[in-house]
Amino acid sequence: MKKHVLFIALVLIAALATPLFAQGGVEAKSAGFVPSKDIEWIVTSSPGGGSDIYTRIITDIMTRLNLVNGQTFLVTNKTDGGGEVGRLQVSRVTAGKIADHTLLTFNSGDHAPMVKNTANRIENFTPIAVMAVDKQLLYIGEYSKYKTFTEVIAAVKSGKNVVIAGSKGDDIATYEMLVKELGFTQNQIAFITNDATSAAITSILGGHVDLVMSKPAAADQYVAAGKLVPVLALANARFTGNLAAAPTLSEVGAYANVENPIWRGVVAPKSMSAEAAAFWSSAFEAVSKSEAWLNDYINKYKLVSEFKNSVQAKAYMEKFEADYLKSLGK
Amino acid sequence: MENFQMLMQGFEVLFTFQNIGATIFGAILGLIVGAMPGIGSLAGVALLLPLTFRFNPTTAIIMLGALYYANMYGGAFSSILLGIPGDGPAVMTLMDGYPMATKRNRPGQALLTSNISSFIGGTIGMLILTFMGPALAEIGLKFGPAEMTALLLVAMTSIGWLVGENPTKGLLLTMFGILLASMGMDTLSGSPRYDFGSIYLLGGIPFTPFVIGMVGFSQVIKLMGERHKENKVVVNKLTIKGSMITGHDFKRMLMPALRSGFLGTFVGVLPGAGATTAAFMGYAAQKSFKSEEPLGSGAIEGIAACEAANNGAAAGAFAPLLALGIPGSGTGAVLLGGLMMWGLNPGPLLFTNSPDFAWGLIASLFLANLITLMIAWGVIPFLIKILSVPTKLMIPIITVVCIVGSYSTSNSMYGVLIMFISGMLGYVLTKCEYQTAPALLAFVLAPLLESNMRKAFIISQGSLGIFFEKPISLVFMILLLSIMLFPIVRPVLVRLGLLKKKVK
Repeated sequence: MKKHVLFIALVLIAALATPLFAQGGVEAKSAGFVPSKDIEWIVTSSPGGGSDIYTRIITDIMTRLNLVNGQTFLVTNKTDGGGEVGRLQVSRVTAGKIADHTLLTFNSGDHAPMVKNTANRIENFTPIAVMAVDKQLLYIGEYSKYKTFTEVIAAVKSGKNVVIAGSKGDDIATYEMLVKELGFTQNQIAFITNDATSAAITSILGGHVDLVMSKPAAADQYVAAGKLVPVLALANARFTGNLAAAPTLSEVGAYANVENPIWRGVVAPKSMSAEAAAFWSSAFEAVSKSEAWLNDYINKYKLVSEFKNSVQAKAYMEKFEADYLKSLGK
Repeated sequence: MENFQMLMQGFEVLFTFQNIGATIFGAILGLIVGAMPGIGSLAGVALLLPLTFRFNPTTAIIMLGALYYANMYGGAFSSILLGIPGDGPAVMTLMDGYPMATKRNRPGQALLTSNISSFIGGTIGMLILTFMGPALAEIGLKFGPAEMTALLLVAMTSIGWLVGENPTKGLLLTMFGILLASMGMDTLSGSPRYDFGSIYLLGGIPFTPFVIGMVGFSQVIKLMGERHKENKVVVNKLTIKGSMITGHDFKRMLMPALRSGFLGTFVGVLPGAGATTAAFMGYAAQKSFKSEEPLGSGAIEGIAACEAANNGAAAGAFAPLLALGIPGSGTGAVLLGGLMMWGLNPGPLLFTNSPDFAWGLIASLFLANLITLMIAWGVIPFLIKILSVPTKLMIPIITVVCIVGSYSTSNSMYGVLIMFISGMLGYVLTKCEYQTAPALLAFVLAPLLESNMRKAFIISQGSLGIFFEKPISLVFMILLLSIMLFPIVRPVLVRLGLLKKKVK
């Protein structure tokens, strides 16, 4: 029975969305590109992680909605050198059929270390799309000494030290923005980098740190169980649902809001033809407008769906890189 | 008793044709994946995960759980028979398993010992998981950076038992292992260390190719020098009966297996420490107990200690995963990803919201444990035939296995290169009578120790006091100091008549 319902729903979605795709398809066809071989999609993190799930959900939806001319996606996880090897490889693909059939999952968490540790830059890629953004919150645990963020600020001002646990990459950048805005030093509010948000949550559940930084999805279950309580939204506006109680920084005191959007995107080799880039951009747009994308990804992982096409994504990523380089003093 | 009832309900969920089929399939696949060097449980679970999306979640997790579990058995096969660790945890099994199979000519018994102690360790782990899972997970939480640092320092002292006859050489290799482990991206600040301008080295030295090279490929090079020797191993015991262990063997194996089962389960629960760490600790702990034959020469106790520990840890790792939604290892993280894709929310509410699922999974672990034991037992007679293959044919075969294994860790030739280099290094070191075990142990423990110690210092603002203020870490610190100071204090105690002189 369930299967039937699902099938009917899919048919309906397909029927409703057909005009859209048709349009995209026509555009792409007139531009002269349709996939004609297997598509190699490189992911620079391990199987099962956030980027991998994101990639596999998109490939699944693209295949189901028949956006890629019946071709197969070959998802390859290239984790050497913290992902830098895979990124360099994609940036160096020479023009031709292979370049038109190569994609790379590219997130702010990939972009920042690439710029920091290597000479590889976004200009070596063709940005295809930005699919979603995510933001963080600060939470307290059961054993936390402070109950609100106002108390945290007061404690720091009275000479106490506060420790925040979080994940790598994006979380560090957000933390640095927060400390700067508050006008404290990195000793007064210290940050512990963990390999994953789950490890950071582990340390606050055991009462080893004062605050934890997390995106809504990773902390969701703990908030529902009352083990974590959100105390600060690192965003320009409050979150909704069970996170609505957390104020933004401007509500806490005379500060500007701190927001560091974490984006998930896709890029291709620099040598990808303009026709192929246009085709892929519209294919990703179709995914982002599909029901399946909203249900299986955006709502499930509590992200904000925010589509940027090839042109917008290029400007967005370039700005991100320029801002980040500036913050590094390069 | 409530938990017992829940477990029985779990078995009810499990005993459908479909779920038992899934368990058996997972167990067989896990054995194969485990036995293939380089493809550990992480890759196995990750590869199978996309296949299971069309299943109902309970069946899917049962299959993956069985696969993960059986993997711990399979890893020992290639360790014992080929001298190449099938996965990380099996490195220590090799230390005694390979000599027992080749030098002592008891391959069947070595495999059986490893299987039975895996079963014992796993059963202990699962019983603890069933009755104390959530409580244990809470204890695991108490282990923050300070506690982990203290525990790891104690574990590091166990290197002292592994260095062999020449402490200087042992210490040298320990330091070497630590240096190698510190290559790559710094875990806390993300800045590169010892990358020498190569983007490959930015990711550090990958563990699996390093280990395959150090202990596996170095073995191949050694074999090349002996290729014309007659194959000494006479395999005339190709039946299950011929590979049975004696009652005496079982007695020797039982105590180490029980001890390691408990130790391993506990290590498995701790954040960040997985089955590999557990196996190392189990083996090192065995050094402080009596073994009939010296460890490293093919002692049954050695095999039992590490195999029981790694299976205990595999079961223990499910406690934080199910009770709190915290993955204890890379494989746990993949399983967690899977849970989320099936629409389940792993976390503190899993037991309350989806009891069928949680207890079904635990029940499937019990079944997988039993099934894997049976299957493994059944294939022993066939497996040990490998040893009768002439050396000159074995050399290319093992080489291919080493290459495939190290290639598959990151799907690139980088792993293969690392494997060859560390293989040559391992050969030279062994030839010069350096023990490689301390380097491997240091390679596993040093990154954990470093990140925990630095986290502790961030929390304490650089004060050492944090290690002595918290009760758990204080206990470990006292233990550490007494281990370190004992050799110094000993002569004083002897002179005062408080201690008898060591009888050699």
